[in-house]
Amino acid sequence: MTQPVANTAVPQPGPLYRLQQKFASTSVAAKIVAGLLILVAWELGVTFFAPKFVARPTNIIAVFPDVITEPEFIEATLSTLFAVLQGLLIALVSGTIIGIAMGRVKVFDRLLNVYINGFYTMPMIAVLPLLTIWFGYEDSARLATIVFAAFFSIAINARDGARSVPPEYLEVARAYRARQRDVWFDITFMSSLPYLVAGFRLAAGRALVGAVIAEFFVSLPGLGMYILSHTRSFAHNEAVVGVLMLAAFGLLFEATMNGVMRRFFPWYRREDRKD
Amino acid sequence: MSQAASNLVHTVSGTGTSADDPSSAPTRIAISGAGKKYGELQVFKDINLTFGNGEIVTVVGPSGCGKTTLLRCIDGLIPLSEGEVKIEGSPINGPREGVAMVFQHFGLFPWKTVYQNVAYGLKLARHPAAEIKEKVPYFINLVGLSGFETAFPYQLSGGMQQRCGLARALAMEPHVLLMDEPFAAVDAQTREILQFELLKIWELRPLTMVFVTHSIEEAVLMGHRVVVLKGRPSGVHEVIDVDLPAPRDRGTLGHPRFTEVREHVWSTLMDEVRAAEFEV
Ligand SMILES: Nc1ncnc2c1ncn2[C@@H]1O[C@H](COP(=O)(O)OP(=O)(O)OP(=O)(O)O)[C@@H](O)[C@H]1O
Ligand SMILES: [Mg+2]
Repeated sequence: MTQPVANTAVPQPGPLYRLQQKFASTSVAAKIVAGLLILVAWELGVTFFAPKFVARPTNIIAVFPDVITEPEFIEATLSTLFAVLQGLLIALVSGTIIGIAMGRVKVFDRLLNVYINGFYTMPMIAVLPLLTIWFGYEDSARLATIVFAAFFSIAINARDGARSVPPEYLEVARAYRARQRDVWFDITFMSSLPYLVAGFRLAAGRALVGAVIAEFFVSLPGLGMYILSHTRSFAHNEAVVGVLMLAAFGLLFEATMNGVMRRFFPWYRREDRKD
Repeated sequence: MSQAASNLVHTVSGTGTSADDPSSAPTRIAISGAGKKYGELQVFKDINLTFGNGEIVTVVGPSGCGKTTLLRCIDGLIPLSEGEVKIEGSPINGPREGVAMVFQHFGLFPWKTVYQNVAYGLKLARHPAAEIKEKVPYFINLVGLSGFETAFPYQLSGGMQQRCGLARALAMEPHVLLMDEPFAAVDAQTREILQFELLKIWELRPLTMVFVTHSIEEAVLMGHRVVVLKGRPSGVHEVIDVDLPAPRDRGTLGHPRFTEVREHVWSTLMDEVRAAEFEV
């Protein structure tokens, strides 16, 4: 029955609040300071409490230049990156088409919705053994896993977007005698875009997971495999560089998405800034 | 009269010159025996109205009496349950050329710039690119949005958004403009400015306007006639001639006749509003 003491609805503009504001408007310098603090904590934690083979920042930094110039590592990175991009592209095109069709055509929705939702919630690792047998222990098994991982979140979001096209837009289109084709490509697609972007973001994360897991299973020369083999041979610092590269993929993806949206869809996300 | 017109004009072309000539076809829109049902709900019934060439008719009535529904039926967005609407003599069974609508919800596409929104109808109607390039800036200028061609709707105020919606409709160069509470969502000052600008635009190119509004002042200021819808299901309760001198402008508001007509419309409507209040 204890009441939280300092928790008021309106933040008081005290010194703490101002500090918070300062960090909310994150300068790059503040981010770097935060990163350095994490590294120091990690280094100290490992030094005092962990066995010798646990990776620590100083050791990782020491191997970093060698690893990222090593042909094996570069090959692994490119292999995973291209597989993910390829799989995402396939999932994006097919998921968008099928999702929008489900959202706008009742029959499709009735037929497919159960399966799409079912597969979406099912952990993809469960089908991986099957995929490896069906597609063989090669690249195509990894690609299939990535597509499988990414497809459903894209389709589900595209469906939701297409279903929530504001009726006002459709009314205007009809009043100006838009043809069916124009309604699909202009109104339905464009007003679903925020949903498509959300689905694609989700799908990118899942695709990366799918790629790494597939590499664990199939032993393809990708980052997942690189991390696994270096972990097993106790080259933990090298393995961590692989992990960091995967994290960099995520950041790269976000930056690219933001750039693309700003460049090609400048109206996107601006609506909620009206007041 | 409308009978004769319907017999004469059977070409689908919305640009028939005979229809532009007031002497041969003074009736632009003829509504006869119109009724609309949504399932069990009879919204209005037995509406008979004719709108002349270049006439501004305003429609007032309590909320929910079917004003928007009536406009949708005139535009052909939804079908009537009974009766028919004829525009330039031919029955309406879908949106057609020569008729444009301005929506209460603006209906601008957030992913299109002002220019692209205004060009929307022209593009769909496959007007030649050169013509679009010429017309769009003209109408953007007409509604006072020059300089905002590349702005997106989120960058516009409510009044500017409605100007954009108006330009999009005007760019079609319609003979009939249907307006559903176009200024309801803008502030009082902007509303007044827009009203007088619309009147000026109408002076430039007089077209038939059906103007739905909640504001009695606006109805009397803009309308050559005011149609009062009333009842449940609603019907035309009264059609009031507004015999105010042209052109309508700020001076109209001070005209003694303006006050008289406004009071008349007000008391006609208020009976209904009071009755509705007691019903609830
Ligand atoms: N698509 C629809 N399906 C069923 N009922 C509808 C539909 N559209 C409108 N109605 C009903 O028809 C009646 C008239 O609606 P309408 O929108 O035409 O009223 P209105 O006079 O324009 O009201 P307001 O002044 O509030 O805009 C209302 O009772 C409404 O609930
Ligand atoms: Mg309405």
